[in-house]
Amino acid sequence: MAPVISASSLSKHYGDLKAVDQVSLDVEEGSLFGLLGPNGSGKTTMIRLLTGQVRPTSGSATVLDTDVVTSPVKVRERIGIIPEQETPPSFLTSEEYLAFVGRVRKISAVKEEADWWFEFLEFSDKRDVLCKDLSRGTRQKLMFAQAFLHRPVLALIDEPLINFDPVMQKTVKDYLAEYVRDGGTIFLSTHILEIAEEICSDVAIIHRGRLVHAGPVARILGQRQHLSDFFLEAVGKGSHA
Amino acid sequence: MRELFAVMMKEEWRLHATMFGSISFALFPVLIGAITFMGSLILSFIGEIIPGPTLSFLVHAQFLLLGIMVGGFGLLGQEVMNRRFGQASLVAYSSRTLPLSDRRIFTVFVVKDTVYYIILWVLPVIAGITLAAPWSGLPLSLIGTIALTLSLSFLTGLAVVFFLSTLYTRSMLLLAGVVAAGALFSILLLITGIVDPVCFFPPYALSRSFTVPLLLYSLTALMVPFALSIRFMTTEFPGREMHIPDRFSPLAGHLDRFRSGPTVAKDLLDLRRSGGLVGQTLFSFALPLALIWVTLAVLARVLPDTRLLITFAGVAGIIGATIYTWVTEFDAIAGYTFLPLGTPDLIRSKLATFLLLQPLTLGAVGAGAVISGDYGSLLPAAVLALSVSIYAASVMVWLTGLWPAVMVYDVKVLAASMLLIGPVLLGLIGVASMNSLFAFGSAVLLVPASLFIRGSYRRWESWEVAFT
Repeated sequence: MAPVISASSLSKHYGDLKAVDQVSLDVEEGSLFGLLGPNGSGKTTMIRLLTGQVRPTSGSATVLDTDVVTSPVKVRERIGIIPEQETPPSFLTSEEYLAFVGRVRKISAVKEEADWWFEFLEFSDKRDVLCKDLSRGTRQKLMFAQAFLHRPVLALIDEPLINFDPVMQKTVKDYLAEYVRDGGTIFLSTHILEIAEEICSDVAIIHRGRLVHAGPVARILGQRQHLSDFFLEAVGKGSHA
Repeated sequence: MRELFAVMMKEEWRLHATMFGSISFALFPVLIGAITFMGSLILSFIGEIIPGPTLSFLVHAQFLLLGIMVGGFGLLGQEVMNRRFGQASLVAYSSRTLPLSDRRIFTVFVVKDTVYYIILWVLPVIAGITLAAPWSGLPLSLIGTIALTLSLSFLTGLAVVFFLSTLYTRSMLLLAGVVAAGALFSILLLITGIVDPVCFFPPYALSRSFTVPLLLYSLTALMVPFALSIRFMTTEFPGREMHIPDRFSPLAGHLDRFRSGPTVAKDLLDLRRSGGLVGQTLFSFALPLALIWVTLAVLARVLPDTRLLITFAGVAGIIGATIYTWVTEFDAIAGYTFLPLGTPDLIRSKLATFLLLQPLTLGAVGAGAVISGDYGSLLPAAVLALSVSIYAASVMVWLTGLWPAVMVYDVKVLAASMLLIGPVLLGLIGVASMNSLFAFGSAVLLVPASLFIRGSYRRWESWEVAFT
């Protein structure tokens, strides 16, 4: 089976800064793939490269068999993205924003889809409130809903749980697990290792722009007690480093 | 205070310099100085056509307009204020976590804007005039006075806009009331003849007769609005959660036949709800155009062959083109990058919104026809204004993509836009002044405009969203 995401020697340099440096990785269909790394390690740049938001300095990548460099819009049509910062337009209400995303994505039953998300993420009472007046948590719910509104087969999500309370974190984690069971693929960027250990099937660790590890979580947990020990060693901060 | 000021100055410089290179940006004041130098060289020739006081009024009016435009940029409306502080002036925003009052931060912000833009705009003009003095015949003794009165004109424009925008952020009704009362009071003073009309523009009055009372009057005329702005500025807006029915879906439904329907509907709602449409129309459109009308009307008295409405329509077209900056400047492009939209889609959408707002340009020409009574030239003037507006906007799109307001300070972009727009505008006004029917010919500008727009799709396709 061909991987749904395939990156080959992918690099992104900003002047002297190598934000992403010669990264090659494959993400299999039906996996919940976690990209881990310290702050500033290149996780967000990696997601932006794989979704065609920035062009690589060198290397190539395909997502759902589509070249992200030559056809970024085509890639974004088929996938869902949660960006690093929750940035819905200030002067649309939550409901209007989902209607906007629905029209851009040409979803026919957008109202029904939006209603389902308002109920599921428990923010129906905020559907007619302007996005600028929403709390960060509610904005994060809205960004989550827009990413999955068109029921994509692949979603690339950047720290999707960070603004949620523990109850909502559980709801979302359960949703992601079910989504993957139903055949979807998740590419999750996070630095919260407990979440990665709990829900990811595979992880890759990126440090200073370079990939330092990639493989199944089960294999790591078979060798060590916690993912965090492995992670700290991989980025040179472990007790044996 | 001093540290905050220094950091804000550095930030403003880096903001511009990062966007188009330090050298390119550093050359901007040099270009302004060079243009003024060349203009000053032909001062004696201009002086034979236009009387000295009229010329002086025109120059001072331009600096007043400059102050209005700089002040109006980003200081309008609650959200615009937030976006200005949040995006363009990060230090002002982050300083709120320090033990500094909002008022103090705002004061430093005002001082920073004043110093920064005087260095960027006013000083180069003074330098240009000074360097050309040996040839222009302008006495060097006058240059100090000119430097002072031009700076005061610029600051007066800045102060008036800061004051009006402070009222605007407090209450739209308050703004309307103060403007109406001010207009009424001014009319009464004019009718009764108690004051010389020239006193309504203190820096110009000072340039005509340099006296200490007039100097104090000029300083008071700008210090009072500045002080009131600082005293009554607010960054705290009522935090009430408004519940609004879905206006987007019906509007997008009406625009469904257009490819950019959803993004245009979003932009229109954004402009209306943020107060940007009213604010920009008032301060960046109506106010400059009113000043331009007065300037042209004065010019028409000394140059009888000037066709006022036609000339005004050409200039209104240029101001109309700046509507493209309204729809791009205050929109967070980052919000589109994770949707299946490319830069050409966004440009197309912003241009569609720009076109939908062009009735404002036509309205300005209509108002000009009513005031001048020149109804015979209305139709050709309207065609001229619209054609110039679309053409100038297309040049802006081609040169700057989705970032016209910030990239205007790139000296290469500025020079290119002046070369591409200036001669065309002057030529059209010249030809249409011979016979207003010739203004219909300006419609031919739609051809190069279309080429510029098509070219911009390719040119900006690979542009990475660097301002996110």
